[in-house]
Amino acid sequence: MNILEIKNISYSYSKNTPFEIKALDNVNLSIKKGSLTAVIGHTGSGKSTLIKMFNALLVPDFGSVLLNGEDINKDKLTQHNVRFKVGLCFQYPEYQLFEETVYKDIAYGPKNMKLSESEIDSRIRNIASFVGITPDMLKKSPFDLSGGEKRRVAIAGVMAMQPEVLVLDEPAAGLDPRGKNTILNLIKDYRVKTGATVIIVSHSMEDAADIADDIVVMNKGSVALHGDADEVFSHAGELVEMGLNVPCVTNIMLSLKKAGYDVNTNIYTMESARKELCRFVREGGAIG
Amino acid sequence: MIKDITIGQYFPGNSVVHKLDPRIKIVLTVFMIAELFVCKNFYSLALACSFSVFAVLISKISIRLIMKGMKSIAIIIVFTSLLQIFYNDKGTVLLEWWKIKITSSGLCTSAFMIVRIMALIFVSSLLTYTTSPTALTDGIERLLSPLNYIKIPVHTLAMMMTIALRFIPTLIDEIEKITDSQKARGADLETGGLVQRAKALVPVFVPLFVNSFRRAYELAFAMECRCYTGGEGRTRMKKFKLCARDYLSLVIVVLVLAGIIVLNYFFKAVI
Repeated sequence: MNILEIKNISYSYSKNTPFEIKALDNVNLSIKKGSLTAVIGHTGSGKSTLIKMFNALLVPDFGSVLLNGEDINKDKLTQHNVRFKVGLCFQYPEYQLFEETVYKDIAYGPKNMKLSESEIDSRIRNIASFVGITPDMLKKSPFDLSGGEKRRVAIAGVMAMQPEVLVLDEPAAGLDPRGKNTILNLIKDYRVKTGATVIIVSHSMEDAADIADDIVVMNKGSVALHGDADEVFSHAGELVEMGLNVPCVTNIMLSLKKAGYDVNTNIYTMESARKELCRFVREGGAIG
Repeated sequence: MIKDITIGQYFPGNSVVHKLDPRIKIVLTVFMIAELFVCKNFYSLALACSFSVFAVLISKISIRLIMKGMKSIAIIIVFTSLLQIFYNDKGTVLLEWWKIKITSSGLCTSAFMIVRIMALIFVSSLLTYTTSPTALTDGIERLLSPLNYIKIPVHTLAMMMTIALRFIPTLIDEIEKITDSQKARGADLETGGLVQRAKALVPVFVPLFVNSFRRAYELAFAMECRCYTGGEGRTRMKKFKLCARDYLSLVIVVLVLAGIIVLNYFFKAVI
């Protein structure tokens, strides 16, 4: 079943000026309930504009956005309330922290939902322990935390609203490898724990292949490819033309194949590459 | 919405106006503003206005663009012209109701004011439309350099202005980003009374200030890393040099001013 459906949407910035830019051009997209979708695309391909459509921050010039079959731009109230159902976490979300304490900052979203004090408190404590924020950190000022901790606080602020769809724009941008793994694992765990639908925007083919069931490739304001990793990465040539690539390990496997080694090329993660190479060697892999 | 404001923006181009020396352009703008204030009747005003329109035409900036910029201050124009209508009791009375009197001379001054304010905006936006912010501040720095003798740090002030202008677009971008992320967390910035709306802006302005301070520190470090120590002993890559078109434009503007004074003398004053 589809939780989110985008129907024929188009959007332009700076309309009716010499600077008009068409950011989205007749985009159609459906997101399955409970799936983890990665949106990839070159800078300026319309990824960020697309995700702002998901929670009515931008209203399409043409077309409609349906959440559970209902138009989210029906009226002002629906537009406001959809923000609690589709939680959107922007790139570098740590720059949006503003409260005196971490606790209050996470509480900002749930407070806007007008939940009861006790409900807010229990949600904050749950989500804090989930993202690894200790109870003493809750009392600290968010500006005293490290970069990775701030990022987790900001993401927790969106997760605390318990949205049906969680959308994250480059959640791992600018973090060191360990911080990046922590965030990606958090997102995987969150989906398993809550059953929520997750959409992440990413520049990294490796991350997309690693965590997503579905990959959407955006190019010049439209959806170029949509499918699982096998399907999307089998279009290696087209991806390169769009200024993207296939994961690094896939490239290695493709080169091996080209050099005459009979290996599978539908390999997107380190782990599966290791298994495939072991199999190949074990079966006495010779030049075919 | 915030991006629709075009006043103060720079539109790169290759016209004669773009190429004028920024110092001369500032002086010319001051002259043209003075011309508009010297005008006393519609004849001289027509001369000043047509000269401003002529300047815009040769700059190849579209008049529609400047008109669009005027939208944001339309309310000020309307307000001043209304005041002019009601605060004038000379001339023949056209309409009288309770304490309000509308007179012919009131209408005249009001029309005069509208044209004059619009021409003022025309002239001053032409300066910023055709001069890059760096050229503008360089020009101001050079024009004010005599003030150095009375111990006013002109270079520092000009540098502050350059930096401020440079960061306006950055700040606008950032306000939009932060507003979007707080809206995504359910912030309601559009409804409620004045106090409620002011309170709703706290989540936008706190991060904005925090980020600005951080950026200021980073910029200061970056400038020091490139050995910036202030204006002393600092040389320029591009030296300003006046050429024929600069002198010519100055002569034309002075002639227009003379023309306006003559017209003022020959025709009856409106205000």
